[in-house]
Formats: sequence, structure tokens, C-alpha cells
Amino acid sequence: MLELRDIIAGYDRRTPVLRGVSLTLAPGEAVGLLGPSGCGKSTLARVAALLHRPDAGTVVLDGTPARGWRHRAPRAQRTAFGVLFQQPRLSADPRLRLADLIAEPLRATGRPAEVASRLDELAPLVGLGGDLLTRRPHEVSDGQLQRACLARALVLRPRWLICDEMTAMLDASTTAALVAVVETYRRETGAGVLAVGHDRTLLHRWCDRTVHWTDLAPAPANPGAA
Amino acid sequence: MASTTAPAPRARARRAAGARHTLRLRASAAVLAALVLAVLLVPLLFPLDQQAVDLAGKLRPPSAAHPFGTDEVGRDLLLRCVYGLRVSLLVGVVAALTATVAGTAVGALAGALGGAADRTVMRLVDLFSSVPHLLLGIFIVAMFRPGVWPVILSVALTHWLSTARIVRAEVLSLRSRPYLDAALTGGASRWRITVRHLLPAVLPQAGLAAVLMVPHAIWHESALSFLGLGLPAHEASLGIMANAARSSLLAGDWWPTLFPGLFLIVPTLAVAGLAGAWRERLNPRRRSELTL
Amino acid sequence: MTAADPAPAPLLTVRGLTVRFRMPRGRSVAAVTDAAFDLAPGSCLVLVGESGCGKSVLASALLGLLPGNAEATGTARLTDRHGSTDLLTAPEAELARTVRGRRIGLIPQSPAAHLTPVRTVRSQLEETVRELTGTPRGTALRAAAVRTAARAAFPADHLDRYPHQLSGGLAQRAATALALAGDAPLLLADEPTTGLDRELVDRTTDELRRHTRAGHALLMITHDLAAAERIADRVAVMYAGRIVELADARRFFGTPGPRHPYARALLDALPDRAFTPLPGMPPELGALPPGCAFAARCDRATPACATPPALRDGVACHHPVPPDRETDHARTA
Repeated sequence: MLELRDIIAGYDRRTPVLRGVSLTLAPGEAVGLLGPSGCGKSTLARVAALLHRPDAGTVVLDGTPARGWRHRAPRAQRTAFGVLFQQPRLSADPRLRLADLIAEPLRATGRPAEVASRLDELAPLVGLGGDLLTRRPHEVSDGQLQRACLARALVLRPRWLICDEMTAMLDASTTAALVAVVETYRRETGAGVLAVGHDRTLLHRWCDRTVHWTDLAPAPANPGAA
Repeated sequence: MASTTAPAPRARARRAAGARHTLRLRASAAVLAALVLAVLLVPLLFPLDQQAVDLAGKLRPPSAAHPFGTDEVGRDLLLRCVYGLRVSLLVGVVAALTATVAGTAVGALAGALGGAADRTVMRLVDLFSSVPHLLLGIFIVAMFRPGVWPVILSVALTHWLSTARIVRAEVLSLRSRPYLDAALTGGASRWRITVRHLLPAVLPQAGLAAVLMVPHAIWHESALSFLGLGLPAHEASLGIMANAARSSLLAGDWWPTLFPGLFLIVPTLAVAGLAGAWRERLNPRRRSELTL
Repeated sequence: MTAADPAPAPLLTVRGLTVRFRMPRGRSVAAVTDAAFDLAPGSCLVLVGESGCGKSVLASALLGLLPGNAEATGTARLTDRHGSTDLLTAPEAELARTVRGRRIGLIPQSPAAHLTPVRTVRSQLEETVRELTGTPRGTALRAAAVRTAARAAFPADHLDRYPHQLSGGLAQRAATALALAGDAPLLLADEPTTGLDRELVDRTTDELRRHTRAGHALLMITHDLAAAERIADRVAVMYAGRIVELADARRFFGTPGPRHPYARALLDALPDRAFTPLPGMPPELGALPPGCAFAARCDRATPACATPPALRDGVACHHPVPPDRETDHARTA
């Protein structure tokens, strides 16, 4: 289980973006989180992936409360997640070839021996063939780069996938292809998926259940009056 | 179709601009290469005889025998200029490299650690910067006997500050990039993120700063030597030569001032030309001219 | 379009528009090949395609904003009350002085980045109006700026705000107001809805639609098929640098549907349709096959597809899906 309880978070303690948000994600479940842009759903996704330290509240990962965020989180907890962001250009180190981009988590966790075999599995899965793996990010399209980012997110076999507007920049075909890869992975491994987005049609089609942003916060949140 | 296959006038104008750009780059590179070759080869072929004083032939204007003329004790100015440039380049390159390495390390560390460490380091940098750097440089050389190494130390210690600032700003701007989030989720340690993702990203900027620092360091050395604080007075240094030429300039003898001055200005312009081309290379819009 | 069509004379006529990028080591990238279309006042043509298919290059070519290593050939004639200009051969000075902003208004991809952050919307609008229409400073200019804002449905009481104080929707309207300031007959919108919420996408497209009703011609470039369906009169589908289908929007999105197998597959990838991706990836624009670029991914491909198909009756395919689906079923049965 991935449980977020009463999360208060933001970039300025006086005006938090999230005011007491709770959300639970079961293994093997795909939850769609709908909300307008700028509402703070991306912040929630980052808190869930241990990338943003909340001001208050707890994140419980399979029964263990998270104690640290970012590099202070234990590596085993960090690597339980795979993350995908809206803009593949900003999510990829511009100097790494796509093969190195995908293999980077393996090298960072001291498993370089698995690089070749995992690349062989993942590249066809996300549809990266030919010489694409030897190219750098500026030599491929957004869609191709997002495919590589998906392969990178899957390379450590995470138990949770956090997809923050993963397809917002992509065309219909690439969207369908990437969602199909995520869904196959979820079916085969029982990983949980949190898909954040604003496209109602897409999230309804993709996820088991969708929650709207406004349903997460405790009833009429009105901190201004407090 | 034949008429439409000719390139549009706009494309031609842009290409002309590109050609001018390439020309400047090539000219700068050629000048620099010639100067570097000269300072490497000339000392092998023509040793500098400090005692070659020829008072009878002093302050002769440029001639076939002495293309740059002779100085106030009759020494060949061309040879002394080349020797002076050798010292200048040595000081410039070594000091710029040292300052860049130090500045990059400090800036990257401050930017990557953030928080109190960042504040402490940057206040220190501010403190250093608040002292005029020539003054600080004079203070440093004054602690040692005149020589090349104190000058290098003086230049390096006063020039790493700007690089540290540039690198820190670059690191800070990168720190919020999602790709670092992805690296964290991929299990990368803070060290690995700094060394593998942050440093390579700032190196081009730091390199550019280093190149631009070379002429700066050269001028710094000449200034110190001009003031009599740099190299020992008998050494061939462009700053010392400029100082010695002051009195003859008043007497109307222009060459002992002009040629050492040119030897400072020409490499400076050439390096600036190279750096300009480098900066253009770094410009992401040019790098991805093909954005589909 | 048939001769009987009472459509007004086209504002923009593009014929044989081809853009090549010269790359290092003598390579060349065929970003746009032989594009041809007309655009009449009061109508909206939407150019759809996957990212990297060359549609943004086409827009840059029309605005004369191609990078230095690009070569554009063909014609793109803009005919309006100011005269008739070939956008591809006009000198940069003419484009800058009389075309961009005055005859073509650009609605940008990212309005927030398009607005100057340190100045209010009013000051930017007044400057643009003054620059483009020559209205002198004073009450007339203030009134003109307010009128322009109103045309873009930008609320007058927000005019004195800075861009960062605006919501995404209002920033988009402010950018649209700037594009409308010169009263350009042709509006060019390059991915105007990227990154916006669905509600905002709908509002933005509806507003753009309103401007075409007011007599502007709109060329919109997008990969968002839902937005395209909402606004388009006609749809041009681009694949690997070529327009492979040019069709009436209602027929394209409704019945009988697209006729090019690529367009059909692209629609089928939508989450409210089959949600199935196309197999494979689009070819590289630097290494296009000699024949039909879609053949490698196409289930209708035959040896005939080794030669490039020409655009006939609005579709560039050797084996288009017949206009009437019923006959298709009858034939296969």
C-alpha cells in the first residue's frame, strides 16, 4: 500500500498548495487524479514519490512510514518508485545517450552487469529500435524521448509508477502506446500506478478509478478564515 | 521549378553572416596558433641574452635588423616581446586553469549542498570580491619574493570568485530540473548527481569563463609587473617593458611602448574571438537549429 | 474544392511548399515536402500530425522564421487588402515591417513566455497597437487597446495586471489580443493549447473559432485531435513532412471518417475511440523511404506503395479507405 495521510505541502509554509490531502493506492491499482493545472496535483505526485518533503503529514510505503525525502530517503524506498513527468526534454539529462539514460538507475545502484539484458528487454517494449538508443535527447522527438523516460522508470522494476501528466505533450498514438506499456507492466508485476492529469477521457479509459482533486482535501478547506 | 530552387535572399543573408562568423573564428584561431608557436619555438632558436646590452644601438626605430626596434639599452624588442608573451601566456593559462578548477569546485559544492553551506561559502566569496582584486593581488605578491609563481598565485586567488558565482548559479538553475528528480528516484546518491549530472552541465560555462579569464590574467600580470611587483625587473615581461618605455615615450620614441602593447592587445582580441565562437556554440538555439 | 463552390477567394495559397534542412556531413532533412492548400477568410484549417512530422516547420516557413540552414521552395501567396506577397521570397525587411503582426497574427504556443513579465498587459497592448496601427499616444490609443482586449475577451479590469498575475486562460487571451492588435486577416496558431487543461483547451478553441467567424482566416497547428475536431472547418493531416489527407472536418471526424490509413489509425489511438497505438514509429525525416512513407506501418500496403502517392481528391494514398464504409464491408465480405 502507498498511503498519503493529511499531507500539507507547498513551496511556502504560509501558503501551502496541499492542505491536508489523503490518498491511498493499493498494489496493482491504477488511480487517476484529475484536476486543473496549477492546483497542486503535481506537488502531491512529488510528495508521493518522496521527491518533495511535506510540511506535515505522513507517507506510508508498504507499512513503513517514510522518514526522509529526496536524497535523505533510503535508497530502497526511493527506487520503489518510477517517475514520469510532463516534459521529457526537462526529464532527461541532455548529455546522456538514450541507452545510458535508460541504464543510469542500474549504474547508480551498482548493478552495471544487468545493463545489457535490461536494455534488450525494455527497448523493444517501449518501441525504441534502430539507432535511437545511441542518440542524445536533442536528436530525437518528444515522443521518442518520453519512451526512453518510461524505460528508465521501469528499469529498476518499481512497485509504484507515478505518472505526472505523462502524455500531455504527446500525440494520440504515442499516448496510447505509452499507456499500453504501463498497463502491461502493471498487469504483469502488480505495481500500483498513480496517473495525474487533466484529461478526463484519457484517465477514465486508463485507470480503475479516478478521483477528482477537490475530493481529496478535507471538506471545505478554508484556511483563509482560520 | 528552376526559378524557385534558388535559395531565398533571407537564407543567403544568414549564410553570409555565418561565413563572417566562421572567418572571425578562423582568424582568431590562426593568430593564436601563430603566437603560441612563436613563444614555443623562438626561445629554442634564439636564446635571450640578458647581457646583450648595446648602448650604442639603443632606442633605434624599427629596421630590417630589428623589426620592432631596440629598447633603452639596445636590446632587440621583437625578441623581448616574444619572451614577454611567453611569460604572460604561462601565467595566463596556468592561473586561469587553477582559478577555474577552484571556482568550479567551490561553486558546484555550494550549489549542490545548498542551505547553510551555500550561504557561508557565498558570503566568503562576497567578502573576497569586496576587496578590489588588483589590491588583493598586490597584497599576495608582496608576501613572496618576485617570480612567476607568486604572480600565478596572485592571479588565481583573485579570479576564482566569478567562476564560483557562475557555476553556482548554473547548478542552482539545474537543481529544480525533473531529470534530477528522476535520478534520485533511480537511486543516485547526492555525490553521483553532482558529479555525473550537475558538473558536466556546468563545464562548458566554466570552460568559457576560463578562456575569457586568460587575457584577464595576462593583463593582471602585466599590471603587477608594470608596478614592479610582478616579475624580477631583469625578466622580459610586457608589463616591465611598458614601464621602462614610459620615459622614451615622452621623448617621442613610440616603438618601445607600441609593440609590447600590441602583444597584449592582439592575443586578447584573438581569445575574445574564440570565446565568442564558443559562446555561440553553447547557445542552445543554434545547437538545435533543426527543431521540428 | 469544385468550381461551383461559392467560397471566397483564398487568402493564403500554398503550392509545392518544400523545406529542406542542410545538416552536417552533407545530409539533408526533408522537413516539409510539396505541401499545398488554400485558406479562405472566415475559415479554419487545422494541421494535425505527430510531433516531428514537420508541421511547425511549415508554420515557421510561412512566417519567414526558418533557421539559417533551411531552404524553402515553392510558393505561399498571401493575398489581402494590402496586396499579394509570396511569403517565401519576400525579403526579411518586408516580412518584419508589413507582414508579421500586420498581415499574419501569431498566437503563440506558450502565452506566458510570449508576454513580457515586467510590464502590464495594458502597456504591452498599447505598444503593440501603436507599433502596428500607428495610433499616436493618447486617449485614442488607450481606447484602441481596450477595444483590442475586448475582442480577445480579455477583461478590462485585468489590463493593469502583470503576466504572472494572470491565470493560464487569461494569459492565452492576452497573447491572443496581441495577435489581434494589427487586425491581421490571417491568424496562425502554433499549438495554442499545449499544456492547458481540457476546459481551457475548449475555451481557447471556442474563442479562436469566434475570431474566424469575425472574418479572420485561421491556420492552427496542433497534435491535439480533440481540439482540432472542435474548431476545424477543414483538416490537413501531415505525415513525415507531407500532407497525406486534406478533408472536410465534419466528414473527417464523423462519417465517413478519414480515408488515409494513417489518419484513420491516428483517430483510432484516441482514448474515446479504440485507444490502440499505431505500430512502429514514424520514419526519420532525414532518411525517408523512396515510396509512401507510411507503407512500413500500413496494413493496406502493397508493392504499389513503393512509389510515392500524389494527393488526389484530398488523399495521398494508393489504397485509400473508400469514401463509403458500407461498400468497404461489402467488398471484404
